[in-house]
Amino acid sequence: MRPAAFFAAAIGVAALAFAVASLIGNDYVFFAGYTVVQFIVLATAWNILGGYCGYVNFGTAAFFALGAYTTVFFHKAYPLPIPLLLVFAAGVSGLIGLGAGYLTLRLRGAFFSIATLALAVVLQTFVVNWDYVGGSRGAYVIRPDSIDVLGFQIGYVRYLCLIMLALAAVAVAIARTIERAKLGYGFAAIRDDELAAEASGVPTLNLKLIAATLSGALMGMAGAPFPYYTGYVEPASTFGLAYAVNAIAMPMIGGTNVWFGPVIGALLIGTLMQIATVTISSAVNLLLVGALLVGFVILAPNGVVGLIQAFLRVASPSRLEPRSIGLVALATFAFIAGVLEIVFGLAALTAPDPTGLTIAIGGLALAALWILSAYGLMTLQRWSPLIATFAFALSIPVGALHIWLDRSPTNIALWGGAIAIAIAAVLFLQRRDVRRFYQGFPAKEARA
Amino acid sequence: MSADLLLNALVAGLLLGGFYAAVTVGVSISFGLLDIVNIAHPGFIIAGSYVAYLGNSRLGLDPALAGVLALPAFYALGAVTYQVYHLSFERRGQEGLRGLAFFFGLLFMIEVALTLLFGVDYRYVSAPYIDKSITLGLIQLPMRMVVPCVLSLAMLALLQLFLGRTFLGRAIMAVAQDHEALRLMAADPVKIKRIAFAISIATCSLAGACLIIIQPVEPSIGREYIGRVFAISVLGGLGSLPGTLIAAVLLGLVESFTATFYGPSWAPALSFGLLLLTLAVRPAGLMGR
Amino acid sequence: MTPLLKVAGLGKRFGGFVALDGVDLEVAEGERLGLIGPNGSGKSTLVNCLCGTLAHETGAVTFEGRLLNGLPTHARTRLGLARTFQLPRPFAGLSVADNLEVPLLYALNRRRRLTAAETSERCEELLRLVGLVDCARKYPRDLTQVDMRKLELARAMAAEPKLLIADEAMAGLSHSEVAEIVSLLIKLNERGATVILIEHIMHAVMQFSQRLVVLVSGRKIADGRPEEVVRDAEVERAYFGQ
Repeated sequence: MRPAAFFAAAIGVAALAFAVASLIGNDYVFFAGYTVVQFIVLATAWNILGGYCGYVNFGTAAFFALGAYTTVFFHKAYPLPIPLLLVFAAGVSGLIGLGAGYLTLRLRGAFFSIATLALAVVLQTFVVNWDYVGGSRGAYVIRPDSIDVLGFQIGYVRYLCLIMLALAAVAVAIARTIERAKLGYGFAAIRDDELAAEASGVPTLNLKLIAATLSGALMGMAGAPFPYYTGYVEPASTFGLAYAVNAIAMPMIGGTNVWFGPVIGALLIGTLMQIATVTISSAVNLLLVGALLVGFVILAPNGVVGLIQAFLRVASPSRLEPRSIGLVALATFAFIAGVLEIVFGLAALTAPDPTGLTIAIGGLALAALWILSAYGLMTLQRWSPLIATFAFALSIPVGALHIWLDRSPTNIALWGGAIAIAIAAVLFLQRRDVRRFYQGFPAKEARA
Repeated sequence: MSADLLLNALVAGLLLGGFYAAVTVGVSISFGLLDIVNIAHPGFIIAGSYVAYLGNSRLGLDPALAGVLALPAFYALGAVTYQVYHLSFERRGQEGLRGLAFFFGLLFMIEVALTLLFGVDYRYVSAPYIDKSITLGLIQLPMRMVVPCVLSLAMLALLQLFLGRTFLGRAIMAVAQDHEALRLMAADPVKIKRIAFAISIATCSLAGACLIIIQPVEPSIGREYIGRVFAISVLGGLGSLPGTLIAAVLLGLVESFTATFYGPSWAPALSFGLLLLTLAVRPAGLMGR
Repeated sequence: MTPLLKVAGLGKRFGGFVALDGVDLEVAEGERLGLIGPNGSGKSTLVNCLCGTLAHETGAVTFEGRLLNGLPTHARTRLGLARTFQLPRPFAGLSVADNLEVPLLYALNRRRRLTAAETSERCEELLRLVGLVDCARKYPRDLTQVDMRKLELARAMAAEPKLLIADEAMAGLSHSEVAEIVSLLIKLNERGATVILIEHIMHAVMQFSQRLVVLVSGRKIADGRPEEVVRDAEVERAYFGQ
């Protein structure tokens, strides 16, 4: 698909998402959705320098906050429309990205990463000492109620979502275009072996500077609407480590080699965070993201996408077969179920009564089983069909219990569907061709 | 500007520098000698502070003593961490991106775990010497800074002796220079590296205890130290212990003077600014290899 | 006739250690030059200095009459000076064909504009030249040692270099594999590339070189016809001791 066509498609998807959200009508969807889409932009931006070039940026917060504080500055000095703010934020953050890159990208990757951490702290210190934008007390930014867009009056938060969706489409289109172009080859060469890249004629410093500037600019743009979204901006949380971790975790969990890796990661972790923030404390939520990051980095370094790609390379190298698709779907379902189960298990852990405690432990055990199944199925472990069967089978009585506890129609529909999937899964895993497929591999074969 | 103020800022800077050296020496080993970018190092130090806090508040131990007693536990923790790191990354030749992400995730998890366990309130220790200070003419020597400085210097001296005089120490210096040569001499480079890394984490136990003697701690303090630790180790020349001490004292002096004359809110930016400057101008540091 | 490559008084130290001590060298166009020397004599340092990976303190490197001092490696590659690495350094995340795409896009494309079709055609041609057509979709980790060396050579050749420096391209290969690489290098030379072969495997060096240069402790101690150089007393002393 040519770049222009892809961009049109991306905009189309963004518009569709906005339309669906508008139909649901609930403002909460827009509030939560904004955060998730913002992370799509941040994750994609990070991945341009991190995943494509191999240079880890720990200072995502710095570029994001720069964009936010550019908005705060203009809000106090001379309020500007958001699209213009995006341009200014891109300029500021891009320039800082270029500058920081010029200072440090000639050195080893490790030094660059440490320098990005340094950058975040230095910038935070400056902002804390700059009273015009509020210093450590923070700044209030009054959000208008609604805004006129092409003759329609829409709520301001919805407008911000629209902007962020458009930005996400742009970011993703840029990432994909780079991937397939000459620039993408250069980036990949730098990532794999910088010395050999130089010897092959790749101007490594220039390309790295391009990546750093682009990445920084996109992050700044993601930050520009933020003050209007939250209404109150203060350095401690805006420069917070949470942004750095999420910007790294999402691409690494989703997959760093391809443009839809960060998108998948952002959707997965972003949604998880939204669910977790309402059920468990935000600290435990962050711990979970950190644990997922470490787990993926160790066990599945190429992320979900890499895992599935490696599986398909072995399972159906020439064309996609239904069996492989079924297994991928099962593994995905198991993984998501496992992660959700962890969240609910942790939530039950904090409940005061003893039945809550047993449910919590049971839930966490089941979650472990799910995740093990997903991992085993995708890495072609011999024992995986058995474990997966067990996991799915176990969930049938659990689902029944959930229905018995709460007989509202939505709950019955939800858990009824889950039970149906579980039964189908168990039957699928017993198929002779599936079992033979997994027995054909010695233990611990193809790692992702 | 009085002589009194100047002298005390000088002394405070020197004492602080001694302490900073202890905080950094682990990174001088792991980054300087083993080429492992352990960004989680400050996290381990804060963990050490909390262990000292527990020893002090629950068992009534002197915090420094608690730090020393916890050394084996931290050593074991370091060995396990290295083993995971080695199996997951070094063996596959993917230390760059993945190793960094691993340690970053670890740092993050340590901070969040400590927040969950202890909350965000500042914790401090109590010991008989903490409120005392010695006065020598114009100079005030607060014991809560002198004791950690002395302990730090002692630890540094011990490590320098270890690296220079013992077989194991020299093997560690050797593995930093040439992996293959070590293998040819029938020593297992992986085991040597594991021991070295474990030592670097063990230093966090004592360094953390020193930290909580000097000031109250809360989980996010670790982040300030990332800049300091790497600034000092780069400035001091990776892997050189004397260089680490000199650079640490330098930073201590700079911070002390800035805090005295301009106020403490600029302190975090200083170390990081110094790091950026060093990286841009002289990456090999003051006493580079 | 002006030499293709002219090295004059090249000097490089690492702290107190002198790796290269005033090396002079001239390579004529189309020549097949062999460079030998005991371990630690500075051969790899010389290559690194020629290619711009290391900065040398003294001396000048001139390529096609143009001074190369201070030019970064990628610029030198674009001018036509290519090298292979002692230990193959393929782009592990890219397929064999894509490995060749990189120099085709970045080194060759600078000198003349290639369409996408021409680039893939060139890629095919290179693969056929080194005998890796069947491996086009494979990844470097699935290649044999000798195939990886071939990939190294193909990648260096992709930029259509005027001078190719093959740095120990045959270390650790079997007798027949060495012969394969030697015939490949001769084929490349016949296509117009000047080749500097740095090697320890003497029979390969003797078979390949038209001229032989010996480097010992950073200094050139012999430079002439291979048969004469190997009989030189100083060379014998350097290799076999007194």
